[in-house]
Amino acid sequence: MANYAARVKEDIARWAAAGLVDVAQAERLRADVDAREGAGFSFGGVLAMFAGLFLAAALLLLVAANWDAIPRLLRVAGFFLLIVGFYSGGAVLKDHGRRAFGEALWIAGAGAFGASIALIGQMYHLGGTEAAALITWSLGTGLAALLLNSKPLTIAASGIAAFWLFSHGGDFWDGTAFPDAFPLLAVALWLVSLRTGSRAARELLLLSLLGYVIVLALRGSLVTIGSLLLLGSGALFAVAVLFLRQLDLVLRLGGRILAYCLLGALTGLALLQARYLDDVGAFTVLAALNFAAIAAALVLGGARSAGLRRIAYAGFAVELVAVYVITLGSMLDTVSFFLAAALVLGALSVAILKLERRMADRTLFGGGTA
Amino acid sequence: MSRLVAAALVVALLQIGFLSWVITGRAAILRNGAEVLLRIEPVDPRDLLRGDYVQLAYGISNLPVRLIADRPPEAGLSDGETIKVRLAKTADGTWDAVAAYLGEPPAEPEPEQVDIAGRIPPGWALSPESTVPVAYGIERFYLPEGEGLAIEIDTRMRPFTMAVAVAEDGTAQIKALMDGEDRLYEEPLY
Repeated sequence: MANYAARVKEDIARWAAAGLVDVAQAERLRADVDAREGAGFSFGGVLAMFAGLFLAAALLLLVAANWDAIPRLLRVAGFFLLIVGFYSGGAVLKDHGRRAFGEALWIAGAGAFGASIALIGQMYHLGGTEAAALITWSLGTGLAALLLNSKPLTIAASGIAAFWLFSHGGDFWDGTAFPDAFPLLAVALWLVSLRTGSRAARELLLLSLLGYVIVLALRGSLVTIGSLLLLGSGALFAVAVLFLRQLDLVLRLGGRILAYCLLGALTGLALLQARYLDDVGAFTVLAALNFAAIAAALVLGGARSAGLRRIAYAGFAVELVAVYVITLGSMLDTVSFFLAAALVLGALSVAILKLERRMADRTLFGGGTA
Repeated sequence: MSRLVAAALVVALLQIGFLSWVITGRAAILRNGAEVLLRIEPVDPRDLLRGDYVQLAYGISNLPVRLIADRPPEAGLSDGETIKVRLAKTADGTWDAVAAYLGEPPAEPEPEQVDIAGRIPPGWALSPESTVPVAYGIERFYLPEGEGLAIEIDTRMRPFTMAVAVAEDGTAQIKALMDGEDRLYEEPLY
């Protein structure tokens, strides 16, 4: 955010110097950037949020310690009072303009709710119900986010859902624990995030969904799930390239959806490659497909998304190293593969550079609509 | 009162209401459920202490497949089925499995019999000569911090039993840890 603000201010200075905007307009633009930057980030706010998280963690640990100096019923009543106090106290603080402290108290309230769930599990020795407890906690926090229109609570609910996924999804041998219902929970929280306007929560959910698909592939079929992920991501990418604005009305991820599509496609290819590690022919084809996908993504969406560019570069580096390490048949085969790739990408870059120059010329001299 | 404070109170009341509903449900099982006494089996010591609860296994935790009256004719693998296990009182006062049903039991349990609900994890062979693990949701016993280990060592020295309340629908709820006739940890209703 700070980065972006600094860049925009440089641009405004340049535009003002070039006479594109007048001095008064430049001043107003700068003021607007400052106002938004102030709303987006403040150290005090972050520290308040940390304090809220610490408070929540302390409550959870207090339950874990099973401290029996206070009678049970009193402990339950105490936690109920904390829930009421944190949520309503947070609301009062927000009403009085103390936005950060209010949100921090709500986070503590979500913590008190989670701690109460754990306390009840402990009181009645409820075994094997962590999954149910985490889902309940996530849904309860999501409900609070919805009713209080709170971004931090939306992120907290998504974070709890992600924790459920990754704490249980890795448990390969215990099928009872597999978080089958995660996509449903993710969709519900996605809807909450649309209402509360939390893009961070949506990105967290999207990454978790990708993790869910990976776990699904590792447990089931690498080929089927990997191909579906590849095709699905590719199709969504195509839609995003053609109808970014319309798609964003639903997803509200800005240009980043392009980056996530590429990440999904590359993950799908990686799953397929993991299956064909010992099949030189298939592995080579998949590697070529990987480089082609990265090149295509850069050409089609690279200008619109910095995130896509970053994932493309990282994906390129990872695949290059992978092909280098996993020799294709013989080292000479790998050498010829790299040479062929160099020639193809080189030719492609010459063609694209030419195209870009021509388009630049047209916009400069013809004022064209391209 | 502002709209936001009202919303906050609604959130708090909904969450507290849900929690209270869980508590009253469990307390109802403790109050009204049929009490059965289950033998506790020693568990592999490596699995015993995770945090401050004791991991428990019962005599009925390993169920012989031949007891399942309505098991599928060809012996396939389990798929996370729920199961009702019919318990009957034995001579020594503890209760043991006498039959089990994957579907609804065909007849009501007789006096001195109780149906307890459990779940078979997926991937276990349902062939007549094998046994399958069944989880009843009572496999964990929470203790105040630091008291866990002493109890576990004891369960390997002499037989302990657990008094368990079973609701009408088969839901089980731990009631008291018993050492012979002594109730070591008796659970209050709330």
